[in-house]
Amino acid sequence: MLELRRVSKHYASIPAVDDVSFCARPGEVTGYLGPNGSGKSTTMKMITGLIEMTAGHIHFKGKPIQEDLIAYKRRLGYVPEEPNLYNHLSAVEYLTMVAQLRDLPARRSSQRIDGLLRLFALHGDRHASISGYSKGMRQKVLLAAALLHNPDLILLDEPFSGLDVASALVLRSLIQELAARGKVVLFSSHELDTVERVCSRVVILHRGKIVADDSIERLRALMELPTLEAIFSQLAVEQDTAAMAREIADLIDA
Amino acid sequence: MHKLIERLIARIPLPFRVLLNQFLLRVVDLEALSIEADVPRFLGQFAGVLIMISCMRAIGALFFPPPPDMEWNLELSALSNMLLVVGLIGVITWDATFPDRRDVMALGHLPVKSRTILLAKLTASGALVGLAITTLNFASGFAWALVFGAGSLLQSLHFLAAFWFTIVAASTFLFAAVLAFQGFAALLLSRRKVLQVSAVAQLLAFALFMSVYFLEPSLGLRGQLVDPANRALLTWSPVYWFLGLLNQLNGSLPRELTWLAVRAWIGLAVALASAAAALLLCYLRTMKKTVEEPDLVPGAGGLHWTPGFGNSLRSAVLNFSVRSLIRSRQHRVLFAFYWSIAMAIALSCVRTELSGEAPGAMTVDYLTSTFMIMTIAVFGLRNVCALPISLNANWVLRVTQLRPTIAYLAATRGVFLLLGAAPALTLSVLLALRYRPWEQVGAHLALLALLGWTFVEIAMIGFEKVPFTCSYLPGKANVQVVFWGAVFVLALLSVTVALYEHRVLSNGWSVAGMLVALAAASAVLWGTNRHRAKSALLYFEEPIPEIITTLGLSIGMRCETSKPNSQSAER
Repeated sequence: MLELRRVSKHYASIPAVDDVSFCARPGEVTGYLGPNGSGKSTTMKMITGLIEMTAGHIHFKGKPIQEDLIAYKRRLGYVPEEPNLYNHLSAVEYLTMVAQLRDLPARRSSQRIDGLLRLFALHGDRHASISGYSKGMRQKVLLAAALLHNPDLILLDEPFSGLDVASALVLRSLIQELAARGKVVLFSSHELDTVERVCSRVVILHRGKIVADDSIERLRALMELPTLEAIFSQLAVEQDTAAMAREIADLIDA
Repeated sequence: MHKLIERLIARIPLPFRVLLNQFLLRVVDLEALSIEADVPRFLGQFAGVLIMISCMRAIGALFFPPPPDMEWNLELSALSNMLLVVGLIGVITWDATFPDRRDVMALGHLPVKSRTILLAKLTASGALVGLAITTLNFASGFAWALVFGAGSLLQSLHFLAAFWFTIVAASTFLFAAVLAFQGFAALLLSRRKVLQVSAVAQLLAFALFMSVYFLEPSLGLRGQLVDPANRALLTWSPVYWFLGLLNQLNGSLPRELTWLAVRAWIGLAVALASAAAALLLCYLRTMKKTVEEPDLVPGAGGLHWTPGFGNSLRSAVLNFSVRSLIRSRQHRVLFAFYWSIAMAIALSCVRTELSGEAPGAMTVDYLTSTFMIMTIAVFGLRNVCALPISLNANWVLRVTQLRPTIAYLAATRGVFLLLGAAPALTLSVLLALRYRPWEQVGAHLALLALLGWTFVEIAMIGFEKVPFTCSYLPGKANVQVVFWGAVFVLALLSVTVALYEHRVLSNGWSVAGMLVALAAASAVLWGTNRHRAKSALLYFEEPIPEIITTLGLSIGMRCETSKPNSQSAER
C-alpha cells in the first residue's frame, strides 16, 4: 500500500501541496484528480523521489520510502506528465539504457523490450530516432520504460496524452489488468470519463488540498450527482464555464 | 537623426522586421548552444574576442612596423584569419539560412511570402558575417593603412579601400560557397538524406577550415609566389587568389601573378551566382517538399549494436555518451574543435619527422605533441561532457538511480578513459611507428598512458555527474577562461616534461623513476577521487548562485540585492 501522511510542498512559502494524506491500495486503481496547478504532478514527483517534501511522510508497504530509497525505486514505475525522452536515441536504445540502469539481466530485458515494442506497435520504428516520434509514440515508449521491470507501484501522470483511440483502449484495460494482479496504481488524468471507468476510488485535489477521497459510488451517493464530471465541477471548478466561453467568443467577435 | 532612423525603419515592411528580429536571435545553430543559451551575450563575447585580436594586431603594426618585404606576409595572415573566422561562422550557422521544418510549420500558414523569409534569413546571416569582418579588421585595417601608406594620406586611403574591399570579397566568397554547397545538397538529395548528410558535411567543413588554416604553407614572399614549384598550391588556394586581388587593387601586383586576381574575381562570381541560385530554388521548391516529407527516419538496415563495457551501469553510461557525442551536433562540433586543435598541433610538430624516409630517434617535438594531444583530448572531452543534451529527459536517471554515486562516477571515469585518453594514446602509437629504438618508444608510450590516467583523474575533480546530463549555465565565459588557462598551464608542463624526458630517455633508471612517480601521482589522485565519491551526491544541475532581491515596496525604500544567507538555506 502507498500511503501519504500530511505531505506538503512549499515553493518560497507558497503551498503547492498542502497537508495531503491518502492511501492507494494494491488491487485497485486510485484516481488522482484536480484542475491545472492543483498540485497533482508535484505530488507525483514527491512520490517518485524526484522532489523533496517540505513536510510529511510517504510510506510504501508500511515503510518510509526514504528509509531505503534505492529498494523503493526498484519497485516503482513512473510515467511523467510530459513525454521528455532523450531524442537522440531510438526507442530500443532508450529502453535498453533504462534496463541497464535498473540492472536487469540483459537477455530477459532484451526479450521484454522486444515484446513491449511489438505490443505497443513500435517495433517497426524501434531503430528510428525518438526525435521523429509522434506524441503518442513517445507516450508508448514511456509506458514501456515504466513497465519494463514489472514494478509493484505504478504512477501514471496523464498516461493517455497523445494516444490514439485503439492504444487508449488497450491502456485502459492494461491499467485494470495490472491492478487486478495486485499492483498499486495511482493514476492522474483530466479525462474524467476514463477515470470513471478505470478507477475504483478517487482523490480530488484543489489548490493543493484534498477536497474528496472516496470511491466514486459513494461520492455519487453522498453528493447526489450522477457523474464524476458533475462531482468534479462542484468541488474543483470555480468559474462559470458557459459564461467564460461566451466571454471568449465575444472578445474575438468584437 | 534618431527620427530619421525611425522613419527609415518604419519604411521596411513589418513582416520582414519581425522575422529579422527572430532570425537574428536564431542565426547561431540552436543545437550548437546550450538549451537556455543567451544568443546576444554569445555574440557580444564573440565580437569582444575579435576586437581584442584586431587591437593587438594594430598595436603590433604601429609599434613594431614590419619591414617592406613582410607586407604581403601580413596581408596573407589577415586574409587567412578572416577566412577562418568566416568559415567557422559558416559552420556554426550551418542550415540556419535555409528553411527548416520549424519555419515551414510556423510560417507556412501565415500570409508571409517566401521571399520575405529568405531575405530576413539572409540578412540575419549576413549581419553575423558583417559583425565578424568589422570587429576583426577595424583597428588593424586602419593601422596597416597608416604603416603601408608610407606617410602619404592618398596611399593610405588607397590601401584602406583595397583592403576593405578584398576582405569583404573574400568573406563573401567563402560564405557564399558554404551556402551554395548546403543549398545544392538540399536540392539534389531527399530531405531524409539531407538530415543524415548535413551533420557529416558540417564536420567535414569544420575540419577542412581548421586544417587549411593550420597546415597550409605560408608563402608571403614575392619570390615564393612566382616560384613554379608553388603554382599548384596557389591554383587551389583561395587565400592566395585574394592576396592577388588585394595587391591588384593596391597597384602592387606583378604581371606574372595577375592570374591570381583573375581567379579571385571568377571565384567570387561563381560562388555568388551558385549561392543565389541555390537559395532561390530552395525557397521556391523545398519549402513545400519539407512539409510533405516525414521527419521520421526509419533506422532499419543500419548498425544497431549496443556493446557491453563491464557492468550494466557502465555500459549504459558509455553507450549513452558515445551516442550523444556522435548524434548531437552541439557536442560533435565542439569535440571536433578540440580534436582539430590537437591534430593540427600534432601534425605541425611532427610534419618534418614524418616526411623523413627512415625511422629516426625520438625528438622533443614528437614527445611534446603527444603530451599536448593527450592534454587537449582529455580536458576537451571534459568540457564537451559538461554540456547537457536534454535536461528535461534527465528525470529517468534520477528515477532509476539504484546504485551509489561512486558507481556512476566510475562509469564517468570510463568515458574519459575510453573517449579521451584512449584515442589520444592510439594516435600517439601510430605516430610512434616512425621512431626507434623500440624500448624508448615503449617507455614513452607507457609514460603517456600514465599521464592520460593522471589527466583523467584531474578531470574527474568536481565532476560528480553523468556526462551530458548536467545543466550548463549559459554565458559562463569564466568556464572557457578556466579551461584555456588549464590547457595552457598543462601544455607548458607537457613541454617541460618532454624536455626532461628527452634528456633522460636513454637512461633506464630515470625512465623507471618517471614511471613510478607518475603511477604514484595517478594512484593518489584516483584514491582521493574515490574517497570523495563515497560521500558525494550525483548532481544534474549546476548550482546557480542565488541572489535574493528585496523589492522594497514601502515608501522611501530602495530595491536591494544581496547574497543569500539563512533564507536561501531555508528554501
